[in-house]
Amino acid sequence: MLAAVRSATVFGVEGRPVTVEVHVSTGLPAFQIVGLPDEACRESRDRVRAAVLSSELVWPSCRVTVNLAPSSQRKGGSGLDLAIAIGFLAAHGQVPVSQLEGLGFIGELGLDGSMRQVAGVAPMVAAMAEVRPVVPLANFREAQGVAGEGVRVARTLREVVDALNAEAPWPQPPDEAFEDDEPPPADLADVRGQAMARMGLEVAAAGAHHLLLVGPPGSGKTMLAQRIPGLLPALQPDISLQATMIHSAAGVRLPAGGLVRRAPFRAPHHSSSMVSLVGGGSISLRPGEISLAHGGVLFLDELGEFAPSVLDGLRQPLEEGVIRLARARASAALPARFLLVAATNPCPCGGGAPGACECDETARLRYLRRLSGPLLDRFDLRVGVSRPGVDDLLASGGGEPTVVVAARVAAARLRALDRIGMVNANIPPAQLDALAPLHPEARLRLRQELESEKLTGRGYHRIRRVARTIADLHGADDLVLDEHVLMALNMRVRLSVSSRERAA
Amino acid sequence: MSRLGDAVSGGGTPPEAFVASLAGFRHMNLHRLGALLRHHSPAEAWQVVLGECPSTGLISRVLAQDDVRAMWRRCAGERPPAEVWQRCCDLGLEVLPYGHERYPAGLLDDPLPPPVLFARGNLGLLAGRRVAIVGTRNATAAGREAARSIGHGLAVAGVHVLSGLARGVDGHAHRGVLAAEGEGRPIGIVASGLDVVYPREHRDLWEATGNCGLLLSEAPPGVEPEAYRFPLRNRIVAALAEVVVVVESRERGGSLITAAQAVERDVPVMAVPGPVGTRAAVGTNRLLCDGATPVLSADDVLTALSFQHGRSAVIAADLRARPRGNDIGVYRVLRNDPRTIDGVALALGISLVDAAMSLARLESAGWVAQADGWFECVGSPLR
Repeated sequence: MLAAVRSATVFGVEGRPVTVEVHVSTGLPAFQIVGLPDEACRESRDRVRAAVLSSELVWPSCRVTVNLAPSSQRKGGSGLDLAIAIGFLAAHGQVPVSQLEGLGFIGELGLDGSMRQVAGVAPMVAAMAEVRPVVPLANFREAQGVAGEGVRVARTLREVVDALNAEAPWPQPPDEAFEDDEPPPADLADVRGQAMARMGLEVAAAGAHHLLLVGPPGSGKTMLAQRIPGLLPALQPDISLQATMIHSAAGVRLPAGGLVRRAPFRAPHHSSSMVSLVGGGSISLRPGEISLAHGGVLFLDELGEFAPSVLDGLRQPLEEGVIRLARARASAALPARFLLVAATNPCPCGGGAPGACECDETARLRYLRRLSGPLLDRFDLRVGVSRPGVDDLLASGGGEPTVVVAARVAAARLRALDRIGMVNANIPPAQLDALAPLHPEARLRLRQELESEKLTGRGYHRIRRVARTIADLHGADDLVLDEHVLMALNMRVRLSVSSRERAA
Repeated sequence: MSRLGDAVSGGGTPPEAFVASLAGFRHMNLHRLGALLRHHSPAEAWQVVLGECPSTGLISRVLAQDDVRAMWRRCAGERPPAEVWQRCCDLGLEVLPYGHERYPAGLLDDPLPPPVLFARGNLGLLAGRRVAIVGTRNATAAGREAARSIGHGLAVAGVHVLSGLARGVDGHAHRGVLAAEGEGRPIGIVASGLDVVYPREHRDLWEATGNCGLLLSEAPPGVEPEAYRFPLRNRIVAALAEVVVVVESRERGGSLITAAQAVERDVPVMAVPGPVGTRAAVGTNRLLCDGATPVLSADDVLTALSFQHGRSAVIAADLRARPRGNDIGVYRVLRNDPRTIDGVALALGISLVDAAMSLARLESAGWVAQADGWFECVGSPLR
């Protein structure tokens, strides 16, 4: 009258194994779930009972107790439905207990007995490494991506029961070769003109330098940002797996292949709350946008419109590549290593060329003050974008296509990885002289910039890293030349009103 | 009360000390202070406000009000002339009651002369050529640039620039003057006491004006910039200027008060035209409709002052290294319009790196300046 079934839940982006123990006894008819279930989990009582009855199985009037072990951890979500149903059927003798050995069950049940897709299958499967997972058909690719072969699928509870009773074989997983159903990334060839901004994208992608695009509305900041993921190389296998776990845990649609292989692109709206951006929630600590952008690009359009507290929340993950969330009952560390790309207008009216701006000084100052200094400092690249000119728009043929630029980016990344095994944006200051030695002319230029106070100490290191990346893109392996430093300086526009006023 | 009066009048306190103290009384205004000082010597005026000496006319009527009498007695206790005097001396201020030998001559026959002025800096500047540049605090970029370049041009030509040290146009006019390092100096006329810097972000400007120019105020040290003091300050700006230039003004701006005060005193008013419909230019455009002389550059103001100014000296004195090679082309492109690096590269069909190199050379030689990623030509430092 007792059965134990293996299953799992998601916490943060990690799966946690759960053993579902079901006890069926005589007594007043009742159905209880213990072991700290959340609301969705507790409601599975009603779904399971209906699903069992709809599957032409028996639900006698008896006392059913379900324990979710370990019982001191909170469990959430509807992914335990299937395990509870199978546990009940085994405990009641409708399925042989011995058949449950070596299997783990994940899935939500519909009232008609169908098995429905759940979020977080990838991390759950990963948490049940020693058993063969049984998952809903819609979750097959995802589970296969993590567990490899041996994943069992089913469309309904009845199919699972029949297979366990050896009355029918396990349903065949779909074996047609999955074609990549993701739309191809937007191509850089669509961008007319914008030579400087293009170069900014290329450098950002090659060195993982955070990028701020500054320009008037209609200058194509968003269009440019959307083209960065296409420039980034495919994700490394370990990052790909992490990204898959995160996307799965957050319930974001995964590509048909099951694994996130391409650099993700996340563009949350500026009204987004702190929790939606960095992750959180009371029980499951759901990953936020910055984790979903792990390995890819987080694009913040209209940076100045984001709540200042939300932006300040980005500073720590930007430094560490991981977001540590702590709540009264739980804490979790979610991976969040992303390329930050942001766009802002230079002033409230959008401005543009000097003299075109209609803002008064106070309004302009107030607007720029919203972008806190510490955050602005983290952008290695601050590139001005101007509206494309008539000549640009009428020019025949677009610019370089993504394929060509992406090849250069990949080569530059390889160069950097060969050198120290990390992207250029992460070179520690102490190693700059060894890894990015300066040509005497370049050194002279930096000295002049520092002496004229156009460059601060913090900016100095960032300029040197960016210059290293530019040199890598040009195929210059050892010395960083004057022209590389100069381009790096030109890709760090000062957002000036306030600083100029102070300096004057 | 009489003991206090004896103590201060007996100790060799100069007459200006009494005036400086009286000017800071509550319920004291320039009419009352003017009347007091017209009819009494400063020491006697002190006795009058304490009620120890009879007065006539306006003052006797004012002193008949119980609240004023009580307040003045209290203020007299709070502001012993010796202390106020000491404070002025510590700050290096000159106290100039109406009729003082160093009192600005231009204010002597003013319809509403200040009964007393506090000054820091070189009063001799008021004997030179003087132009006021005033305008809105919320200036546009174009307005700020106009204020700066007119101030610069006037200072180079040796004309002193009067302004109110406010945010926006006022501040930029003086920054232009200071950047010129020419003969012309900044003269700041402010509404608060000379030790109460307002706005606070202009502390550097305030100090620079006091050190190499002149700061004037009607208010004694310690007085806060109360709203009613600003229009009164504007009348002094108008009275001391030979020409008032309004750079930008909203429909109802303080600078229009200055303009009106200037008209009242037969001081010519000039205005910088702005785009129709821009809020910051409504007031100035209205002035132009009403007959003010348009100003496009410092030259126009100098013409109004009947200055002879040829171009030859300016060109000869341009010490910047001449652009060479490609840089000439880049400079020519920028002469028409400000451009970004992309724009320069596209216009000349050269690579980004070449454009950046040229621009960097031109910038370090002083031919172009960069702001927010845009490159602009800058005029000769002497123009």
